[in-house]
Amino acid sequence: MAETRALARSDMTLLDMRGISKSYPGVQALQDADFSVRRGEIHGLVGKNGAGKSTLMGVLMGIRAADSGTIAIEGETLHHASPQIMIDAGISYVPQHINLLNTLTVAENILVGNLPKNRFGLVDWQAVNDDSQARLSRLGLKLDVRQPVEGLSVAERTMLAIAKALFNDARLIILDEPTAALSRVDIDLLFGFVRAQQEQGVAFIYISHHLEEVFEICDRVTVMRDGQIVGTRAISEINVADLIHMMVGGGVKEYGRESAAGHEVVFEVQDLSRRGAYEHVSFVLRRGEVIGISGLQGSGADELAQGLFGLERMGVGEVTIAGEVYRPGSPKSAFEAGVAYLPQDRHRYGLVQLRSVRENVTYSVLDRLVGRLGVLMRQDEQAITEEYIDKLGIVTPGPEQRTLLLSGGNQQKVVFAKLAATQPAVLILHEPSQGVDVQAKVDIFNIINDLSRQGVAIMIISSEVRELIGLCDRILVMYEGRITNEFSRAADDMLPEDILLAIEGGPGDADA
Amino acid sequence: MKRAEPNRLVSLMVDNLIWLFVLGAFIAFSLLSDRFLSPYNLGNILLRSAAFGMLVLSQAYTFITGNFDLSVESSLGLTAMFAALMLVTSEAGGLGWQLNPLLVILLMLVLGGLIGLFNGVLITKVGVNNLLVTIAMLFVLRGATYGISPGTSISFFPKEFTWLGGGTLARVVTDNGNFVLSVAGIFVILAFLVGHIHTRYTQFGRNMYAVGADADAARAAGINVDRVVIIVYIIAGVCAAFAGLLQAGRLNAATPTMGANLIFAVHGAAIIGGMSIYGGRGNIIGAFGGVLLWSILDTGLNIMGVSPFWIDVSRGLLLLFAVLLDALRVRYQHSAQMRLALAETTVGLHDREQSSG
Ligand SMILES: Nc1ncnc2c1ncn2[C@@H]1O[C@H](COP(=O)(O)OP(=O)(O)OP(=O)(O)O)[C@@H](O)[C@H]1O
Ligand SMILES: [Mg+2]
Repeated sequence: MAETRALARSDMTLLDMRGISKSYPGVQALQDADFSVRRGEIHGLVGKNGAGKSTLMGVLMGIRAADSGTIAIEGETLHHASPQIMIDAGISYVPQHINLLNTLTVAENILVGNLPKNRFGLVDWQAVNDDSQARLSRLGLKLDVRQPVEGLSVAERTMLAIAKALFNDARLIILDEPTAALSRVDIDLLFGFVRAQQEQGVAFIYISHHLEEVFEICDRVTVMRDGQIVGTRAISEINVADLIHMMVGGGVKEYGRESAAGHEVVFEVQDLSRRGAYEHVSFVLRRGEVIGISGLQGSGADELAQGLFGLERMGVGEVTIAGEVYRPGSPKSAFEAGVAYLPQDRHRYGLVQLRSVRENVTYSVLDRLVGRLGVLMRQDEQAITEEYIDKLGIVTPGPEQRTLLLSGGNQQKVVFAKLAATQPAVLILHEPSQGVDVQAKVDIFNIINDLSRQGVAIMIISSEVRELIGLCDRILVMYEGRITNEFSRAADDMLPEDILLAIEGGPGDADA
Repeated sequence: MKRAEPNRLVSLMVDNLIWLFVLGAFIAFSLLSDRFLSPYNLGNILLRSAAFGMLVLSQAYTFITGNFDLSVESSLGLTAMFAALMLVTSEAGGLGWQLNPLLVILLMLVLGGLIGLFNGVLITKVGVNNLLVTIAMLFVLRGATYGISPGTSISFFPKEFTWLGGGTLARVVTDNGNFVLSVAGIFVILAFLVGHIHTRYTQFGRNMYAVGADADAARAAGINVDRVVIIVYIIAGVCAAFAGLLQAGRLNAATPTMGANLIFAVHGAAIIGGMSIYGGRGNIIGAFGGVLLWSILDTGLNIMGVSPFWIDVSRGLLLLFAVLLDALRVRYQHSAQMRLALAETTVGLHDREQSSG
């Protein structure tokens, strides 16, 4: 592997950005940043939330205008930067929040703007479908091209977006947190074709908060901090600890997990089944307990979470909260019964983007903040907001900043703050650490710990097995719609290899 | 375990529900009144809603891109009045120019297109909200129509001018009365057919859908979004001018109130035909189904002697039903359902936003 990489990599500089600066009111998003990418390399770009990664890429793609600095491609300095110029120069961007034409089919999304026509100049739909199907299968992607994109899962959409970039004859593809929503299997698939493209001479900029993945796939890595470039290293010359040190500028705060699980059962699921999603699911969740549920895409774990929050039908079976029958007809009734949910696609669903951080954090707890005469107690509101900004380390000029203007990871922290502020009885978290940096992850884990110590029963659906091991009292593995294994801290059997094996459907049973 | 597949058949039915309704309404009125199925009435259904149909077509175009144009009903009135002034003698209320009818038709289409261009440029280049622009234009154009009119209706147009709106292609005599194949009816069918081919089978048409589905994504795909929207508004304006031509031709008169208060019925017909004001959905053929349903209901109730007030009520109910249907249709799509549910819930956000805003 190392040899092929060395072969594919040439020392010719493909992209050279020099002295890029960019400021926003109250924020120096980029300061004199130098960044260069060689032909055919996979170049990692890492840094904490708000470090300026997306902004730097925005400047590169001509989406955001830099205050100063130059961009050269293959030694030629560009005098203007616009998305079209950059696409023509062979640079493609797969953004953090993917824009696809949701009401149109996969095929049309792939060929948009350039649909095959017959000799009368009219769109040839047969060719549209065949052509796009052929392109996808060349990448090993199995999607029904006639399906509207709105019917695809997050993982499928991400892959489609990446595939589209590949179709554009790109020489340099920017992947901004592409794996944030992908399962391990899909990540392998993705990495497989990223490497295949690299062998064809395509270079990648790979932005991620998953440092293991950076080590797995990148040739070099550049670290950003507070809008500045800290340095660039060959991946072979650095280890995880040093990389984290460069990112944070010091050691990462540790989080220590002490189980706060009580005896009192808060949430009980008995023999719950929904056809086509999950079967005979039973488990209990105690006061202050944290359990993890993990499984491949399609294992039913996602559906279970959505069913339990009333986003979809829950199916047949019995569920009780504190002994009372719980049948959420809608998310709203679930919320009123004391269940809160952190959705996976939270940028879209969890925030009122145009409003301030303060308003977003306190929307859901306003009733608690209303004083005698029905007047909002602004000071309390302010206090709550500042508490969470502080606890979660949300990078923002202040509580009044519109959430739209925060970096991706910081937006997620705001959603998390909002949820934590509601103090529910049962908290369902769907991939809670997705897209947040190493430090913020620890901050979020600490909040999860705090909440569990306050008695909140927490259920985490996640594919990050290692994180679950650190966080949870028990881990349930789902495979093909059933809970197949249970691992627990008490039984001291939470071993990553065993859990991963169980997730893939390997042998083993709950008590072994 | 596989993810539950969205049911293709249900999906297909939901998308084409309009034709079930058309069929249902047709059968229902045939059973309720023997006059409904008479040759004369059948010929009349399309003729009477020809101008209405052209307005629906104009809105189908704007809807696909996620826009709408409230001012088309006023464009209908203004273009018709404008043409009338240039056609007839000063005794009959015109300017006395008596221009060549074909030239006048051309001029009115150009006028419609210019109005559309103006709307489109304000919305895209100046960035004014489409609701505000087209409401403003709704009033401006209607006011202008009154302003230029002699205060009464103008009639007695040359034959060449009224042919499209009021002409007859063929007349079939039966025992039951005459079946009249109107030029206007055929014209509307052709217009929708052209619209269908244009939106489904040309690059421009597909770009319209892309813009409506997600303007940012469309822009990223290299589509000139502003250009698409401006052209769509021009097309809408020309459709409105055609509507003016058809209406004036059928009545052989132009009045300053022509087209007034039609726009919501137009939107209702388009929506019940499967179009969505959120853009990127529906198709032109479905919109035509909407036109048919609307006019079957109208003529049917009329024939049965239902009072105009109740006809209004039934139109209103149909509109309401159309909107419900639209919501259901969106809901049926899984992810869209998530969006709704989560917006109103991940902790009651939606509610508060509305009540506090
Ligand atoms: N349009 C804007 N207006 C004001 N501030 C902005 C704007 N865009 C970005 N910022 C700020 O610039 C800084 C850099 O943001 P950027 O999105 O580049 O971070 P990032 O490194 O991509 O973080 P993440 O890992 O969370 O995605 C942040 O502090 C952000 O709040
Ligand atoms: Mg970012």
